Amino acid sequence: MAINPHFHHSNQQLQEEYLLIEAAKENPEKFAPLYDKYYKQIFNYVYQRLDSKDTAFDITGQVFLKALTNLPKYQFKGVPFSSWLYRIAHNEVMQLFRTQKDKRAVNADVSTLRNICEVAEEPYFEEYIPHLKKLILELRSDDLQLVELRFFEQRPFKEISEILEITEVNAKVRMYRIIEKLKKSLSKLNV
Amino acid sequence: MSSKFNIDRPKISDDEIKQGQNFNQLVERFKQQSIKKARGDESWWKNKRTRYSAVIAGVTVVCTVTYFSLFKNQSQKTSANETITTQSTISSKNKTVTKAAFINAPSKKLQTPYSAYKINNANGGIIHHPSSSKIKIAKNSFIDKQGNDVIGDVTIEYKEFHDVGDVIANGIPMAYDSAGIKFNLESAGMFDIRGTQNGTPVFIKKDKPVEIELASKNSEQRFNQYYLDTLEQNWKFLQKDIAKLSDSNLSHLSNTKNKSPQQLKSEEKLAKIQNEIEVILPRKKDSVQLVYATKIQHLPKKPEPNQPKKYSASKPTFKLDGSYEEFPELSTFKNVLFEVAPENTNYSKELHSITWSDVKISQGPQKGKNYILTLSYRSRVEKLVVFPVFSGEEFDAAEIVYKEKLNDYNLALQNRTKEETRLMNELKTKQANYLAEQTKKQEEFEKEKAAMRAKYDIDGQNALQSNFNALTLNVKATRLFRISQFGIFNSDCPHPIPTKETMRPIFVVGNKDKFIVPDYVYIIDHNNKTVYTYDKSNGFVFKYDPLVEYSMCVFLKNKMFLCSKAEFKQNQDARENKFTVTPLPDSADNLIDFKKALEL
Repeated sequence: MAINPHFHHSNQQLQEEYLLIEAAKENPEKFAPLYDKYYKQIFNYVYQRLDSKDTAFDITGQVFLKALTNLPKYQFKGVPFSSWLYRIAHNEVMQLFRTQKDKRAVNADVSTLRNICEVAEEPYFEEYIPHLKKLILELRSDDLQLVELRFFEQRPFKEISEILEITEVNAKVRMYRIIEKLKKSLSKLNV
Repeated sequence: MSSKFNIDRPKISDDEIKQGQNFNQLVERFKQQSIKKARGDESWWKNKRTRYSAVIAGVTVVCTVTYFSLFKNQSQKTSANETITTQSTISSKNKTVTKAAFINAPSKKLQTPYSAYKINNANGGIIHHPSSSKIKIAKNSFIDKQGNDVIGDVTIEYKEFHDVGDVIANGIPMAYDSAGIKFNLESAGMFDIRGTQNGTPVFIKKDKPVEIELASKNSEQRFNQYYLDTLEQNWKFLQKDIAKLSDSNLSHLSNTKNKSPQQLKSEEKLAKIQNEIEVILPRKKDSVQLVYATKIQHLPKKPEPNQPKKYSASKPTFKLDGSYEEFPELSTFKNVLFEVAPENTNYSKELHSITWSDVKISQGPQKGKNYILTLSYRSRVEKLVVFPVFSGEEFDAAEIVYKEKLNDYNLALQNRTKEETRLMNELKTKQANYLAEQTKKQEEFEKEKAAMRAKYDIDGQNALQSNFNALTLNVKATRLFRISQFGIFNSDCPHPIPTKETMRPIFVVGNKDKFIVPDYVYIIDHNNKTVYTYDKSNGFVFKYDPLVEYSMCVFLKNKMFLCSKAEFKQNQDARENKFTVTPLPDSADNLIDFKKALEL
C-alpha cells in the first residue's frame, strides 16, 4: 500500500508544525497555515463518508472550529497535527450519524472493490459489484470505518490507529477478521 | 444498514474545495463563540467591577474584530490578486521550460503522425477518422485569441493512442496524482487534438463544445475521462466515462436509420455475446488463474532439515570451551564441534594454539547449514566458515532428532503437494467451465448470426457484414467526449502504484556484458495494461508486484532495447537486478514492429 505523504512527516516538518501550533495557541490568526494545509484533507475525509457536498463543507468548518477552540489543550505527541484533526473529524461525523443516519454514505471506486477482492485472494468480476456493495454495507459500523480507512483511503495502520484511537495491532487483527469474513462470502460467489 | 453506496462518484475539484475554505469566517466564528462563552460564565459576572471591565473588554474585542475583519478582507483581496498574477507568471514560465520534457517521445520515428482535416468554421461538419472515430463540429465553433469568430477554414490535427505501445511511442506520461496519492493510468483510448488557421492556434467557443466519438477497443465501464494539464503536469479528472457498446457497433452501419427495432436489437445482442466471448470470459479465466497462483504460493512451506555430519578426526575442528553456566545462551553448542570448511584460506594449525578471548557465532553464507566463527584475541581477529559436526553419542542423538524432523518435513511436503494438486484440479475445472461457456457462447453467436442473415435482405446482410468487420477491427465501444479546449484527452482507469517489491536495475546489452545508462525506461504492466515511465532523475528505481507480468523497453539516444516478459520474469523470480536488454533491429523502426516486439 502506498505511503501516505500527508501522514509521514520528517522530523523537520514535525518541528515546523509544532512551532505553528504553539504560535496559534497564542494567536488564532496564526492558525491560517495549518488550516490551509489540512482543509482539503479533512474535507475529503468527511465527504468520503457523506453524500451531500454541503453537509461535508459544514462539518469541515465545524471540525476546524473545534480544533481552534480546543487548541490550548492540544499536546504534541510527535505525530502530524492531522491525526488530531482526523480524530475530531471522525467524532463529528459519528455525531452526525447518531442523529441523522440517512446522511451516511459509502463511496468507493471500482478499482478499490477490485483491490478488496485481490486482498481476499478472490477473483473480481464486474457482476460482483452488487454483492460487494451488499457485503460492505452489512459490515458493522466500526468494521466499515476500518475498510474505508484502509481500502478506500489507503491509509497505513499507524494512521488508522491514531484516528480510531485503537492500537495498531488491534487495527490489524480487526482488518484480518474482516478480510476473512469477506473472503468467506466472496468464495461462495466464485462457483 | 440503509446507507447509500456510490460507485465512482465524480471527484470534487480542488477549486471547488477551495471555494468552501474561508479562514476569516472561521476566526470570526471562533471569536463570537469566545465572547458568548465569556458572557455565559456567571461566576465572575457577579462582581460589579469585573462586570464593567468585561463590558469594556468586550466592546474592545468587537471593535478590534470589526476593524481587523475589514482590514483583513481588504488585504486578503489584494493578496489574492497578487497570488493570481504570480501564479500565471510561473505557469507561463513552466509552459516554456517544462512542456517539452513532460510529453517526450523517446524516438521520433515511432511517433504517431497527426491526421490533418480542413473544416470551414461557418459550416462546421463531421470528420470521419480512419479508426472509426468521429469529430463533430458545430457551425462557428472556433474563435481567435481576441474572441472573434474565425473566418474560413480551420485545420484540425488529430491523432489517437490506443495501447501502451502508442503511449510509449508518443511519450505520454501516465502517472496520475490524485490528492497526493499516486496512480498510473490504464487507457481505453486517448486522443490529441489541436486546431490552427495558417499556423496560428484557434480556440473552441465555450458554448459550442466539439464532440468526439472515440472508437475504443475496450468496452468496459470502469473508465473515467481525463484531460492532460501540461501546466500542472497532471491529469485532470473530467467525468465518468460511459462506453456506448451498441452505438459503436451501429455507427459502422451506413443505413442504421432504415433498420427495424428488432434488427437493431438483434445486432445489440450479437455485440454483447461477442463482448462476453472476447472480453469477459478471458478476463475471468485470467483472474481465476491469478487467484489460484497466489493460493498455491501461500501454502505453508517447511524448511528441509539438515542431516547431521559425523566428526572426522582427519579434519580440523573447533570446540567452544567456555563457561556455559556464565553464558547459558551458548549451551546449544555445548557438545557441538565446528569443522573448518575447506574454503577458509586463512586457516592454519597455529589458530588452535591460541586461547581466544572472545568468540562469536553468526549465520554463514548457506543459511542453516554453516556458520561464521569469529575468533578474537587482543587486536587479532580471525573469521572462519565452519559447519557443525557431531561425534559418538552426540551424532546418534542428532541422527534421531534429524529423522524425526525429516519425517515431519516429508509429511508437510506430502500435504503441500496434495493441497497443490487439489487447487490445481479445482483451477482446471473452473478453467474448463469457462472454456465450455466460451464455446457455448461462440455457438450461440454463430446461430444468432445465421438467423439474422436468413431473416434480413441483401442490403441488411451487407450492413451486417460491415458491422462484423468493425468487430474484428477490435472497435468495441464508442466513448463520447465534449471538449471546450484543445489538448490531450483520455479515457482512463487509475491503478495504484505497486509497492510490494523494489528493484534498482542495471542494464546490460545482449551477451556483450556492456553496461548502459538509458535515457528512458518504460516498464509495461501487462495485467493492468499500463506503463510506468522512469528517467535518470529517479535513478530508474521501480516498485513492482511479483504476481504481475511485466516487460521492459529501454531507450538510449533513440536506440531501443527490450527485455521480454520471460526475461523480466526470470529477473523477478531471482530478484536479480541486472537486466539483459536486446537491441531492436534497425528495420523495426515502425510502430507495428515496435508493438510486436513489446508483445502487446
